[in-house]
Amino acid sequence: MLKEYTVTYRSDNVYENWVHDAYWQFLILPLENTTQELLDTDFSNSIHAINQFSINGFGFNTIKVHPKKRFKQISFEAIFKVLKSENKEIKNVSESENKKSLEEINTLEFKINFERFLKSTRLTLLPKLETPLFQFNTNASLFENLKLLNNWVHVFLKYSPGVTDITTTLDKVLLQKSGVCQDFAHLFCAVCRKNGIPSRYVSGYLNHESGYLGDSQMHAWTEAYLPHYGWLGFDPTNNVLTNSNHIKVSHGKDFNDCSPLKGVVYSQGTHKTSHSVVVKSQQQQIQQ
Amino acid sequence: MLARVANNLFWMGRYIERSEHIARYMNVNYFSSLDAPNQISQDRQFVLRSMLFMVGEPEKDANKVLIEEDVLYKIGLDPNFSSSILNNVKYARENANSARDLISTELYESINKFYHFVLNYPREIFVKSGLHDFTTNVTEMSAILRGKIRGTLLHDSVYAIIMMGVNIERATQITRIINSKYNDALLAQGSYEDAFTKSFEWTTLLKCAESYDMMRRYYKKTPTSISTLEFLILNPNCPRSVMNSLNQFYKHVKILNPERRYNKESTAFLIGRVRAEYEYKYIEEIEKDIKSFIGKILKSLDEISNKVDEEFFNY
Amino acid sequence: MSNIENQIFSSYQRNPDLYDEIYDGEGNIKDIYQKLFDIYGGHSIQDYINLNSKAKASFFNQGITFQVYGEDNVQEKIFPFDLFPRIIDTEEWEIIEQGSIQRAKALNLFLWDIYHDKKILKDKIVPLELITSSANYLDQMNGVNPPGGIYNHISGTDIIKHKDGKYYVLEDNIRCPSGVSYVICNRTALKRALFGVFNHYQTHTVTDYAENLLEQLESVKPKGVDIPNCVVITPGMYNSAFYEHSYLAKTMGVELVEGRDLFVENDFVYMKTIKGPQKVDVIYRRIDDAFLDPLEFRPDSALGVPGLFSAYKKGNVTLANAPGTGVADDKAVYTYMPEIIKYYLDEEPILNNVHTYHCSRPDELEYVLANIPELVIKPVDEAGGYGISIGNRLSEKEIEEVRKQVKENPRKYVAQPIMSLSVHPTYIDDSESFEQRHVDLRTFTILGKDKEFVLKGGLTRVALKKGNLIVNSSQGGGSKDTWVLKKQ
Repeated sequence: MLKEYTVTYRSDNVYENWVHDAYWQFLILPLENTTQELLDTDFSNSIHAINQFSINGFGFNTIKVHPKKRFKQISFEAIFKVLKSENKEIKNVSESENKKSLEEINTLEFKINFERFLKSTRLTLLPKLETPLFQFNTNASLFENLKLLNNWVHVFLKYSPGVTDITTTLDKVLLQKSGVCQDFAHLFCAVCRKNGIPSRYVSGYLNHESGYLGDSQMHAWTEAYLPHYGWLGFDPTNNVLTNSNHIKVSHGKDFNDCSPLKGVVYSQGTHKTSHSVVVKSQQQQIQQ
Repeated sequence: MLARVANNLFWMGRYIERSEHIARYMNVNYFSSLDAPNQISQDRQFVLRSMLFMVGEPEKDANKVLIEEDVLYKIGLDPNFSSSILNNVKYARENANSARDLISTELYESINKFYHFVLNYPREIFVKSGLHDFTTNVTEMSAILRGKIRGTLLHDSVYAIIMMGVNIERATQITRIINSKYNDALLAQGSYEDAFTKSFEWTTLLKCAESYDMMRRYYKKTPTSISTLEFLILNPNCPRSVMNSLNQFYKHVKILNPERRYNKESTAFLIGRVRAEYEYKYIEEIEKDIKSFIGKILKSLDEISNKVDEEFFNY
Repeated sequence: MSNIENQIFSSYQRNPDLYDEIYDGEGNIKDIYQKLFDIYGGHSIQDYINLNSKAKASFFNQGITFQVYGEDNVQEKIFPFDLFPRIIDTEEWEIIEQGSIQRAKALNLFLWDIYHDKKILKDKIVPLELITSSANYLDQMNGVNPPGGIYNHISGTDIIKHKDGKYYVLEDNIRCPSGVSYVICNRTALKRALFGVFNHYQTHTVTDYAENLLEQLESVKPKGVDIPNCVVITPGMYNSAFYEHSYLAKTMGVELVEGRDLFVENDFVYMKTIKGPQKVDVIYRRIDDAFLDPLEFRPDSALGVPGLFSAYKKGNVTLANAPGTGVADDKAVYTYMPEIIKYYLDEEPILNNVHTYHCSRPDELEYVLANIPELVIKPVDEAGGYGISIGNRLSEKEIEEVRKQVKENPRKYVAQPIMSLSVHPTYIDDSESFEQRHVDLRTFTILGKDKEFVLKGGLTRVALKKGNLIVNSSQGGGSKDTWVLKKQ
C-alpha cells in the first residue's frame, strides 16, 4: 500500500536593516530509500536568487541559496511530493539469534564500525546518576528492549512545546521531565548508546493527520541499529515504530548534524524568522 | 587582484597623501603666521582655527580660546582623533599590511618606518618645539614613499590603483586647502586696502601646496586670488593642481580598464566628464562664486571615489 | 688584529650537566664550531652589540613582528633573534631529515586509515578511545579521498637533543605549523650582519621553501584542472602569524585571501577580484578546521567560507592541510608513534619518541600521581606550550593542585620524564654576554603527490629565560639561524 504526500515547508525572514550578503543551507529534502520516493521538488525564494543543489558533509542533499543583491525580506517555500510505502512488519528473532547479536555488538569490530553512532555528544550526554534511568531487561531480546525504551521515554517525558530549545542538554530535560520531539529523540539515543547499541537522531516530516504528537515544524525521531535487522526506526514522542507517516530527511549524531536551516547572514539589527511545515496526504490509495 | 586588496591599496595611497597635506598645512600656516604682515594673519588663535577647519573639525564657538598645545597634539598625534596625522599614517600602514604580499618589500619597509617614526614621536617635544621637525619629516617621508611607489612597483594594476588613490586624495586635499585659505582670506581682509585679492593668505596657500616657487616662475608676480586659484585648480602643468590630479587619475584608471567602448557606467567615463568641464572653465567664472565652486568640485571627487568603489571594489 | 683572546666568550659559563651543542664530551669546541667561535671571538663586545641592535632594527623596520595579546593592549614585538647560528653536520641532518619524512608519511597513512577502514584500530595497535574521544576527529572526513592521498601536506616536527646526545621528537604539528618564514628571515638577517662567516662554511640554502611548497600545492590539484589557481587563506592581519602568511603568498606569487574574499557557487570556490569572480583550485589554509566553513563546523565562524566543505568533499578544491588532521597530532596519538610507524611502514622509528605515560590507563595514572616531581605533565590538546607543568619546578602546593586536576580528568593528561634539552651559546642582552640557553628544532616537511621535501635548516627555537625549557614565541622564546652543512 502506498501513500502520496505533499509536504510544504515555509520560512519567512524579515530584517531590520539591509542584508548585503547571506548564505543559507537547507537540509529539508526528503530522502530516497526503500520506503520513500521523491516524486517532485519545487523550491523557490521570494527574491529569485538561484537555488544550488549540493551535498553536505554527511552526504545529504541540501539546497543552498546565496543572493546576489541586498534585501530586507526573504521567504523560502519548498513543496515536495513523496510516495511512501509501509515498513515491513518486524518480527522477533529467535533466542539464539538474539544471543549472537549481543555477542556481535560487544566486538571491537562492531564498535569501530559504528563508532560515530555510539559516542555521546553534548546533546546526548547523560548526566551521572546513581541509579540508571532505564535498564535493559536481560531476559528480553534487544528488539523488545528497544520497544520498552521507546515506551519508557514516551512515558517519562511529557510533551510540552516551548519548554526547551535546540541547545537544551539532557540534564535539564531529565530534571523537568518534559520537552519536545528533539528531546525525546536525544534521550532515546543517549540510553541506546549507553547500552552499546548504535543509534541516530532522525529529522523529517510527520503526517499529522494520523493524530500523532508533534507541532507544525519538522519532526524528530530515532533509528537504532541491531545486527540481523539493520537500522530500525523508533518514534519515542509517539511510542511507535516509524511507519508510513514518517518521511525521513536526514540523520546524524544529534540535532546539530540535522539542523534543517543553517545560514550566515551579514546584517545589523534585529530580525524575525518563522518556519512552518504542512504535510497533507493525498487520500488516494494507489494499488500496487 | 582581489577586490578587497585593491580597496586597501587605493586607501593606502589616499592616507599617505592625506597625512602629507595635513602636515604641510600645519607647518606652513604656523610658521608663516609668525611674521605675517597683518594682525589677523599673525594671530595664533586664527591659525589654530584654520588648522582645525582644514582637518574638518572647525571650532564652532567663536569665543573659545584655543590652547595651542592641545590643538597641535590633536591634529598631530592624538590616537583618539581619527583625522590626526598619527591615525592617517596608521591607516596607511594597516592598508599596506593587508596588501603586503602585493607591494614591494622596500615600499612596505618605508611605510613601516614612517609609522614607527610617528608613533614614537614624543608628545612633549612635538607640542613644545618639535612641530617643524615633525611635520618636515612627515612630508619628506611621504615624498620617499611616493618615490618607492614609483620606483619599486611594477607599473601595472597595483601601481595604477595606488596612484588613483593618491591623485583623488591630492585633488581633494588641494580643494580643502583652497577652501580653508579662501575662508581665512575673507576673515583677514580689511586690515590692508586691497585685502582680499592680494591677501597674504594666497602666498600661504601656495606654500601649503608646495607650489609657490612654481607659481612665481609661471606668473612672475605676487600671487593674487585669481592667479593662485587659476594655478592650483586649472593649470594642467602644475603637479599639485586639481586638473593635473584628474588627468593622472584618468591615465591610471585606463590601466585598470583599458576598454575604449562607450560605457556611461564606467569610472573612466565619469572622470572624463568632470575633466572636460574644468578644461573649458575660465577663472573669472569661478571667482564669482568660489564657495559653491568648491562645494561642487568636492562633490564630483566624492562621486568619482564612489564610482571606483562600485566598479572595482564592490563584491 | 691583535685581539687573540676571545672577548665575547670569555665569561661563558659551561654547566657540565647540560649538553652543550658546541662542545664535545671533553669540553673542547667541536670542529664544526671552531671557525665560527674564532670569528665571533674576534669581535669586541661593543662591535657585537652594534651588530645585534642593527639586526633587530632590520626585523622591526621590515615589520617582521608578531602581536602579543595582553590584558588590555596589543603589543608589537619582534621575534627575538640570536646572531650566533646553530650548525648541524651532514650525518646528523640525514637522521633528522629521514626521521621527519618517516613520521610525516606514517601520520599520513594513519590519517587515511582512520578516515577509511580503521584497520589500525581493528588490529588493536591504537585504542578506539583515542579517536572517539578526540575533539579533532571530523566525522565529515570519513570516506573522503583527498587529492593525491595527502592529508598532512605540511608538517612541523619539534625535535630536541637530550643529554644522551640523541634526537627526540617532542611533538608533531600537522594542523597549520608556523615558523618557516622566520627560518628564512633569520638567514637573511645573519647574512646582512655577518656575511663574512658564510665564506667559511658550505651551508644549504633555505630560500627554496616557497618554490617547493608551490610545487607541492600544484601537485595535489583537483581532477580536471590543468593549471591550478593556488591561494593562501589567512584569518587576517591581526593574526599573530600574518607576516608568515603574507610572506608565503608573496614568495609563491599567489593571492593571500581572507574568508570574505571567497565564495562558493555550485560547489566551486571563487575569489572576488577587481575583474569579477575567479575560480580557486588549491587553498593553503592557515585557519583551523573549526573555522573553515560555518555551515559544517563552528556556525559563528566569520573567518571561513560558507559551503567550502561541500566543494572540498566534491573534489572541486583542495585544502592543505586536509581538514581533520588534528586528530593525529594529538599528544595522546604521539605516544603511539613508534607503533604507528612500524604498522604502516614496517620500519623502525628513525627519531626517538619520549616515553609517555597515559593518565587514562589506571596503572600508569597511579605511577604519574606518585611521581609528579620527576615528570612533565601535559594536557593533550593545548597548543603553544600552555598548561604544561614541569614537576621539579613545582611547589608542594602546586604539585597537589596538579595531582587533583589529573585525577579529575585523567584522559586530558599525559606525562613524560623531564627531558633535558641541549643548550647553545646565546647572546643575552641583560648581561651583554653569551650564556647557555635551551634550544629545540622545528623541521618543516612537505608531502606532495610523489614528492617529499624537508627544508634543510629548520627553526631553532631558544628559551631565552634562564633555565626555561619552553621555547614557544608566545612564552618568550627566540630563534637562531640553523645551518645544515653540505657534504664535503
